Amino acid sequence: MVATEKKSVTPAGSSLLAAALLLPGLMHLAQAESPPEQSELSFKFLSYQDSQPGLERIKVSSPSLGLVTRLGDHWSVSAQATHDAISGASPRYHSAISSASQMHDERNAYELGATRYFERASLSLGVNGSKEHDYRSQGLSLEGKLASEDNNSTWSLAISHSDDTINPVNLVVVDAKKRTTSWMLGLTQVWTSRDVLQLNLGYTTGSGYFSDPYKIVDNRPDSRDQRTLYLAWNHYVDAAQAALRTSYRYYNDSWGIKAHTLNLEWAQKLAPALSLTPSLRYTTQSAASFYYNPTYDPVLGAPFPVGYSFGNGQILSPDQRLSAFGAITLGLKADWQFNKDMSFNLALDRYQQRASWRFGGGGSPGLADFNALMIQTGLDWKF
Amino acid sequence: MAQAWTDCHIPFKAMASTCELRLLAPDAAQGQAWAELAIAEVRRIEQKYSRYRPDSVVSGINAAAGGAAVECDEETLALLNYANSVYLLSEGRFDISSGVLRRAWDFKAKQLPEPELLQSLCALVDWRRVERDGRSVRLPQAGMELDFGGFGKEYAADRAAAVLHAAGARHGFVNLGGDLHALGPQADGSPWLIAIQDPRRPEALAAEIELCSGGLATSGDYERFFELDGQRFCHLLNARTGWPVQHWRSVSVAAPLCIAAGSCSSIAMLAEDEGLQHLQGSGLRYLAIDAEGKHHHA
Amino acid sequence: MKKSQLLWPAAAFCVLILNGCAMQPVQAWEKGKLAQPAMKFDQDPMRKAFLEHVYASKEGASGGSGVAGGGCGCN
Repeated sequence: MVATEKKSVTPAGSSLLAAALLLPGLMHLAQAESPPEQSELSFKFLSYQDSQPGLERIKVSSPSLGLVTRLGDHWSVSAQATHDAISGASPRYHSAISSASQMHDERNAYELGATRYFERASLSLGVNGSKEHDYRSQGLSLEGKLASEDNNSTWSLAISHSDDTINPVNLVVVDAKKRTTSWMLGLTQVWTSRDVLQLNLGYTTGSGYFSDPYKIVDNRPDSRDQRTLYLAWNHYVDAAQAALRTSYRYYNDSWGIKAHTLNLEWAQKLAPALSLTPSLRYTTQSAASFYYNPTYDPVLGAPFPVGYSFGNGQILSPDQRLSAFGAITLGLKADWQFNKDMSFNLALDRYQQRASWRFGGGGSPGLADFNALMIQTGLDWKF
Repeated sequence: MAQAWTDCHIPFKAMASTCELRLLAPDAAQGQAWAELAIAEVRRIEQKYSRYRPDSVVSGINAAAGGAAVECDEETLALLNYANSVYLLSEGRFDISSGVLRRAWDFKAKQLPEPELLQSLCALVDWRRVERDGRSVRLPQAGMELDFGGFGKEYAADRAAAVLHAAGARHGFVNLGGDLHALGPQADGSPWLIAIQDPRRPEALAAEIELCSGGLATSGDYERFFELDGQRFCHLLNARTGWPVQHWRSVSVAAPLCIAAGSCSSIAMLAEDEGLQHLQGSGLRYLAIDAEGKHHHA
Repeated sequence: MKKSQLLWPAAAFCVLILNGCAMQPVQAWEKGKLAQPAMKFDQDPMRKAFLEHVYASKEGASGGSGVAGGGCGCN
C-alpha cells in the first residue's frame, strides 16, 4: 500500500547512465572489469566454554590464521591453519555429570585452496585435513561458479569428499573409518539494488563409523544421508545505514532428525569506521529415531534403556546432541576499521539449548540445560 | 605477474582546454600510438560538434534554423536523444537550445544584460519546440541554436577512452580540462588521485578524489564568470529566466561514464537548492561545494 | 505425504521465484550498496566457519551454506 521507505525524487543516476549507454561505443566501456583485489591476512582467536548446571564441560581455545592472495590475473590461492586446545568433560550418557569423561586434546587443522577465474566463472579446488590424538580427517573439494551476463545471478555447484579415521583412546574400536560425500547446488541472486538472495540445496551421504566411542551404549547406524535447504536474504536499509541479514535452513536426515534454523543479524553502521551487529539464532530439532530418553532398565540401571540386552547390536544413542530441543544464540559483534587496510573485530555469542524450547513442544525429557559462551577476536590486514 | 609499464604523459590542447593523457603502456612507442588514436578521436568530435566551427554539424543545424530539416548521422541522432533524456530528467533545466543566451551575457565586458535582449533570447530557448523525427532535426524559428557544449567534452572523454580500450589500453586516464575517464587503476592497483580545483583559489585544491575506472566530471561557477558588487555571475544559466545559477560553487560527480557524470553535475548546479536531492537520489559519488564553501559529499 | 517429500518441490519453486521474478535487472552501477561488506554473504568467513563447527558438534543438524569443513571427533 503506502511505501514506508522514502523514494528518491529523481532517479537521475541510473536513468542518465541508461541513456548514456545508448551512445555509440560506450556500452563495452562501462562494463569493463573492476580493479584487482588485495591480498588479505586474517588472524582470529576463538574462545569457547560450554556447561550444564553443576558442570563446566568443554573448553576450547583456538587461534586461527588465514591468507588469501591473488596470483597473476587469473588465480588466487588461500591457506588456513587452526590449532584447537580442547579440554574438559562430556557426559558419557544423557546429562550424567558423575560419569563425565575428562579429556585434554589438541587438534590441528589446515585448508588449502586454489581458484582459477574465467570471464564470468571460477573453479576452485581445495584440500583440507585435521588431526587430533584420536581422530584424523582428510578431504577434497571442488566448486564451480558461473555468473549470468549481467552478473545478477551466480550459480554454484560444489562436491566434496572426506575420509575420517577414529582411534579412540579407550580402544572401543580401532581404526574405524567414515567416508562422506557432499553435494551443494547454489544460486545467489541480486534482486534489487538493496536486496540479494541465496538459495542452497545440499545433499550429503556418509557411511562408516558414526558412533561416539566415549559414550556408553552408543551404537549408531553405519550410514547417514542428510538433506538441507538454505535460504538467505540480505537487505540494505538506507534510512538506518544498516543491513538486515536473514536466513533459514531446513534439515532432515536418514536418522530421523528434522531441524529448522532461523538466523537474524542487523549490521548497523555507527560511525564511518565502526559497526555493531547484534544477532539472534533459533533452532529446533526433532530427536534421532534411535535416541532414547533417560528412562533406564529397572534391572540393569543407568545408562541402559528399558529392555536392553547385550550383544544385540541395537541401534541406540543417549547423546544429548541427538535429542529433541530448541536452542537460542544471542550474539553481538563489533567491527572497527582502523584504516583502509586493517580492521579489528570482537564478537560475543551466548548459546542456550533447552528441551522445553523445542517448537511446538515435545522436547526430550530428563536432560540438563546446555549452555555455551563464545568469544572471538580477530584482526584483518589487506595488503 | 608484475608487468613493467612505461608511464606516458601526453599533454595537448583541444576544446579550448588544457588536456592530458596518462597511459601505462608496454613501451613508449605503444603509448604514443595509443595517444594518437585518442587525440584523433577528441579532435574528430571537436570538429564535428563545435559551434565555433562553421563546417561543424551543429553549425549546419543552426544555420538552417527556420528553414528545412537537416538530416543527421547516427552519432548526432544518438546525442540528440541523449540531450532529450537529460532535458526530461532535469525537469527542463538542462536545455541544449539555451546557447543563444550567451549573446546577452558578455563575460569580458562585465555588464549585466539588457532586459529586452534577454527576454527576446529566452523566447528562443525551448527544447520542446525542436523538431526531431528520428532521421533529421529542425529548429523551427530563425535565431534558435543548438549547443553541444554542455556535454561535448565529457562525451569526447568517454569516446577517447573507448578508442583506447578497444586498442588494448587498460591503465590510465583521459583528462579533457577536468572531465576525465579512467580506463583502469595505477600499476599497483591503487586508484588515481584526481585533484579537484578550489572554486575560489585557482592554485589550490578543494579535494582529491580517488578514481579507479569510469568518469569524473566537474561543473563550476569559476570557468567563465564576472563579479559585480560582490555577486558572481557565471556561465551556467537558468534556461527559463536566463540568469546564472548561484547556489553551488562547484559540483563533481563520478559515474561509469563521464557524460553521465557531467550531466549529473550540471543538473545539480542548475537545480540550485534542490541540487543535493538530485545528487543523493542519483546514487553516484559526488562532492558539492556550496556558496559558503562548505563541502557536501556522498 | 511425508514432509521430506515436500523438500524438492519447495526448492524448485524457490529457484523459479528467485530466477524468474527479478523485476527489472539491476544494473552494474546500482550495486554500490550490495558491495558493502555488511551485505556480503561471506563477510567474515572465519567466524562463520567457527560457529558452523560449534553448531555441527553440539546439535544434530549441520551444513546448508556451503562451508567446506574438515571433520572432527568433537565431543
